Amino acid sequence: MVLLTFASGAGAILYAWLWIFVPSAMDRAAGVRVRSGPARFINEHPARRAGRKEFLVGAGMLLLAAAFAAQQLGLPVQWGTLLPLGVVAAGAALAWAQLDDVRRAGLMDRAGAHRASGLARLLVGLVLVIIGVLVMVSGSIPWSLTWATLAATAAVLGGVGLVLAPWGLKFWRDLEVERAGRVREAARAEFAAHLHDSVLQTLALIQNRATSESDVIRLARAQERELRQWLYSDQADQAGTLAERIRAFAAEVEDAYGSSVTVVAVGDAPLTPGNEALAQAAREAMLNAAKHARVPVSVYLELGPRGSEVFVRDRGSGFDEAAVPPDRLGIRESIHGRLSRHGGSASIRSGPDGTEVTLSMPEHPSRDRGESNGHGS
Amino acid sequence: MDTVHEATAGTDVSVVVVDDHAIFRSGLKSDLGPSITVLGEAATVEEAIAVIQQHRPQVVLLDVHLPGGRGGGGAEVIHGCSRLGSDTRFLALSVSDSAEDVVAVIRAGARGYVTKTISGAEITNAVHRIASGDAVFSPRLAGFVLDAFGTAAVASVDSELDRLSAREVEVMRLIARGYSYKEVAKALFISVKTVETHVSAVLRKLQLSSRHELTRWAAERRLL
Repeated sequence: MVLLTFASGAGAILYAWLWIFVPSAMDRAAGVRVRSGPARFINEHPARRAGRKEFLVGAGMLLLAAAFAAQQLGLPVQWGTLLPLGVVAAGAALAWAQLDDVRRAGLMDRAGAHRASGLARLLVGLVLVIIGVLVMVSGSIPWSLTWATLAATAAVLGGVGLVLAPWGLKFWRDLEVERAGRVREAARAEFAAHLHDSVLQTLALIQNRATSESDVIRLARAQERELRQWLYSDQADQAGTLAERIRAFAAEVEDAYGSSVTVVAVGDAPLTPGNEALAQAAREAMLNAAKHARVPVSVYLELGPRGSEVFVRDRGSGFDEAAVPPDRLGIRESIHGRLSRHGGSASIRSGPDGTEVTLSMPEHPSRDRGESNGHGS
Repeated sequence: MDTVHEATAGTDVSVVVVDDHAIFRSGLKSDLGPSITVLGEAATVEEAIAVIQQHRPQVVLLDVHLPGGRGGGGAEVIHGCSRLGSDTRFLALSVSDSAEDVVAVIRAGARGYVTKTISGAEITNAVHRIASGDAVFSPRLAGFVLDAFGTAAVASVDSELDRLSAREVEVMRLIARGYSYKEVAKALFISVKTVETHVSAVLRKLQLSSRHELTRWAAERRLL
């Protein structure tokens, strides 16, 4: 550095840079952390970006110092080239400083400039375009003129591009933000429209019929079901399974009789003819419970390796299966008959604290399995 | 139908109600029986932790979905309170029934889970049950457990955390069918106390099981 001081102020510039950016003793006394060396100064600087900027400024000043030194040592320095270059670099830096970090990162990302391959592709593309233009133009104009024109055009375009690019980017970003906002607005409008058509209408209906408890419950349950289905619409692809079928029947029974029917399903299975019969039988059991017991009904569906089982339970007053007149087909035909035709079985247990219908369908239906209407435990 | 029909203790129980909907809180308070004293209410995660610390209730009725905090909802409240050394017990209430939410709040330490459509008498009984140290399983939670652990899985050793014993599967299955604890006891010819022991054991397994499948299973399923 002492040597450089002789070199016509080059050392002075370097000193100035060090004076600005290296923390002083006072800094150290007041500072949050003790900086022991240059490396630590870099690492612990509060903002890494600020550190980078300092490095850029420092590097520029070093280059300037090097140029001064070279001139002092008698080497030819082309100020005519260096100065305009410096001005262009400063202008570009100023223009790009308008973009914040996030935007710059976004731009780099979109251009794929972060990866070496992306950068190479970008450069090769540019070179190819330039070559193409050159070949086209060179047919009509002599080469020397082409080069001169090209250089001038490139200089102007490059300069204008460098300065305008940040503005263009800014507009582009704003446009994108606005578009995203419109998409959000559209989604919100759709949401509002759906809520208006469903929930608000139901609420209005409920207010009108506030005197009828069963109506209110029925409306609320139906609306709840509909809203859940809409919110979790990815469930729709499960249609055609046993659990879905039984849920649909439960909803139907709820709508028809106003008692709530809760379905708990463990596992699921495709809708084979046997399972369809099981679902139909379960529907009949739910209908009976809702019609005669008029209380909440719980349905439990379990599908295991042994087959499918459905339990339909209510806490109504119960009934005596033997006392049901033989001409009433509900239980005998719709439950027992339907299941036994597919190799399944049903049992009904009823008492003062409610009724439970157990329906089962083995995995591999066997014809010889008879109808079982014994009373389960 | 969400379980538990027989009251256990006649003693008074103090509760705090945590839910972000004021209408639901006031409805729940009026539904609770006279044997339950409501000490306070809260609508957000931060409020809930503060109110629970201040009043030290026996039971907290906790909504699974709550605003505030780090977005962890009811589970975050339980974590926050257990870190502060509170011995309060939690009963999770939810309208969502999504397996992910329910498993998260149970694994955080809630002693039970019921849906918000539960009747006043049932919620009162559930609170008494939780206060006396038992677990409260709704049919739906029992269904979750059977779905997660498998209906056929039978542990050879009872202490094994990853599987349910044959008896526990039977109890869960009956609860899923809508049986109360008393009805389960009657159907299996065991005492109500034994049913409670089985249910508590299942709850412990649900909370402590290291099976990563349990969480993955819950994440995959969004039951209605």
